[in-house]
Amino acid sequence: MLKKSWINLLLIFLPLLAGVIELILITMFAQALPPYMMTADFGVFAFVFGMTIRNLGVVAFMMGLFITGLLLIFYNRTLRRQAETYTLVEGAKLEAEQGRRRFLRRLDHEIKNPLTGLRAALVNMQEVKTEVDRKRAVDNASNAVERLTRLLTDLRKLSDLGERPIELWQVDVPDLLQDVVDAAHVLPAYGGREVNLLIPKVPSPFPMITGDRDLLVLAVYNLVENALKFTCETDSVEIRVNEDGRAILIEVADSGVGIPAEDVSKIFEELYRGSNARSTEGSGLGLALVYRIISLHGGQITVRSSQEEPRGTVFTIRLPVNKKKVTLLPSS
Amino acid sequence: MRPGPFSTFNLLKMLPDRSTLLLADDDPTIADSLAPFLERAGFHVLVVSDGVNALEKAQTHHPELIILDVLMPRMDGRETLRRLRKAKIWTPTILLTQVGEASERALALEEGADDYLNKPFDPHELLARIRAVLRRVRPGERSLSAAWLLTANDLSLDRRARRATLSGETVELTPKALAVLEYLMTHPDEAVTRERLLEAVWGWEYPAGTRTVDTRMAELRRALDDDPTDPRFIETIPGEGYRFIASVHGEG
Repeated sequence: MLKKSWINLLLIFLPLLAGVIELILITMFAQALPPYMMTADFGVFAFVFGMTIRNLGVVAFMMGLFITGLLLIFYNRTLRRQAETYTLVEGAKLEAEQGRRRFLRRLDHEIKNPLTGLRAALVNMQEVKTEVDRKRAVDNASNAVERLTRLLTDLRKLSDLGERPIELWQVDVPDLLQDVVDAAHVLPAYGGREVNLLIPKVPSPFPMITGDRDLLVLAVYNLVENALKFTCETDSVEIRVNEDGRAILIEVADSGVGIPAEDVSKIFEELYRGSNARSTEGSGLGLALVYRIISLHGGQITVRSSQEEPRGTVFTIRLPVNKKKVTLLPSS
Repeated sequence: MRPGPFSTFNLLKMLPDRSTLLLADDDPTIADSLAPFLERAGFHVLVVSDGVNALEKAQTHHPELIILDVLMPRMDGRETLRRLRKAKIWTPTILLTQVGEASERALALEEGADDYLNKPFDPHELLARIRAVLRRVRPGERSLSAAWLLTANDLSLDRRARRATLSGETVELTPKALAVLEYLMTHPDEAVTRERLLEAVWGWEYPAGTRTVDTRMAELRRALDDDPTDPRFIETIPGEGYRFIASVHGEG
C-alpha cells in the first residue's frame, strides 16, 4: 500500500513540475536573443512568438494545477476507500474468528454430553450384575452414539451444502409441500395431529421455481418438524403458500410457546440453542441448514414470533419465481 | 429373471460364509472392533493398516473381498484400489469413506469400488454389504462396478458421458435419477432399500428422504416407460425397496 501511495504522490507533482519548468525555459528563451535579431519586424515577431509561448506556458502551468487538484481529490478518496476496505476486511476477519470460536465452543458442548453418557454407560456395562441393568447400560450407550451420529450427519450436510453445486430443476411447490406433510406423519412429535396445508386454487398451475427439490423438501421439513416439536397437541401447525408474481412465499406457522425475543436473531446460527430449546432433542443445526438451503436458492427466510397472545411463530420463506424456462444445468 | 428357490443365488445365501476378507484401516480401534465382529459372522479376516500392505496382501493371500478405508497413511484407499484394478485384480472392494461428499462417492464408482459405506456406520450394515457384494460377484470376473458401459435389454447407460439411452434414444433424466439408475444397474437382482439409495446417491439420510427416493423412482420409471405393475426394469419390493430385475452386462 505504501509503495502505491508514493506513485500517487509522484503523479500529483509531475504535471506541476512540468508546468514550472516549461515556464522557466520559455522565459529564458525569449530573453536570450542576440542583438542583431532586434529589428522592428523581428521584434514584433519575437514579441508575439514569445507571448504565445509564454501564454502556452501559463496554460500548461494552470493545467498542471488543475490536474494536481483533481489528483489530490482522487488520491484522498482512494486513501479513504483503502482505509474503509481495510476496516471491513479486518471486521469480517474478526467476526469470522469470533464465529469460529463460538461454533467450537458450542460443538464442544454438544459432544460433551453424549460422550459423558457413553462413558458412564460403558462403566455400568462392566460393573452391573443383573441382565436388566446391563441392557439399560447398552441402551444408554446406543442412545449416546445415536446422538453423536445425528450431530455428525447434520454437520456433514452443512459442509456438503457449501461445496457441491445444487441441482437446478423446475420445482412444483404445492406438490413438494404435500410431500413434506405426508413425511411428517411418521414423526413421533406428530401425535395424531393434523398439519394444515393451504394451497391457493388460483393461479393455476401455481408458478414453478427453479431449484433442488430434495433440498427444499429438507428445508420445509425441518421447519415443520420444529413447529411440531415446540408445540403441544392442542396447538395447530399450518403450512401456507402464496405468490406475488415475483416470488413464492412459503409460511410455516404454529401456535406454540413462541421464541424468546433475545433468541430470535440468533436461531439461524449453527449450534445455537434458544433458552426453551435446550431440553428438546435435536442437533442444533436444523435451522442453520434451512438458512443455508434457502440462501443457495437466492431466497430469504424471516421469522416473527410472539410469546404473548396471540402467541406463535411464523417462518416465512421467500423464493424467487423463474421467469424464463430453465433447462437442466449439469451438476459440475 | 428373479432367481428360483434352488438357484445358485439362494443356495449361496444358505451356505455359511468362510470367505477371507482383507480389512485395511489405520485406526486400531476400528480394526480391533470390526475384525472380531466379522470373525463371529464366520469370515476369516486379515487386517492391515495401510494401503501398501493392503496391496501386498491382496496379491499374496487372494482374499474374496477387500474393505478399504479411504484415508490411510502411505497409500490411501483410492490409490490402492486404482493400482489393484490396473493390475487386473478384480477382487470386489468396499470403500469406507470418511465424509459423505458427493465427489468422493462419484470417485468411488469411477475407480471400480463395488460398494461404499459412509463412516460412521452400523457394523451390521457392513456385514449386509459384504454379503450382498459376495453374492453378486463371480470370482475373478470384472464386476459391473468397474464397467463404463452397462446394458440391460434395450437400455444402456454410459457412465462416463452420464447418459442413458433406450432403444438408441437418449432418456431425459435429472442427475439424481441417473445416479439412482446407475446404482440399481450396478447392483442388479439385489433388494436395495430406500435408505441405502439415499446414502449412496444423496449422501445423507433424512426422515423425509424415503419419499424423495420414491419421487425420483417415479421420474425414472416414467422416463424408461416402465410399468410398476408389470416392470421390465425396476421392481418395487413392498416394505423393502427396489430391485433391478433385468440382467445387466458391463463393457469397457
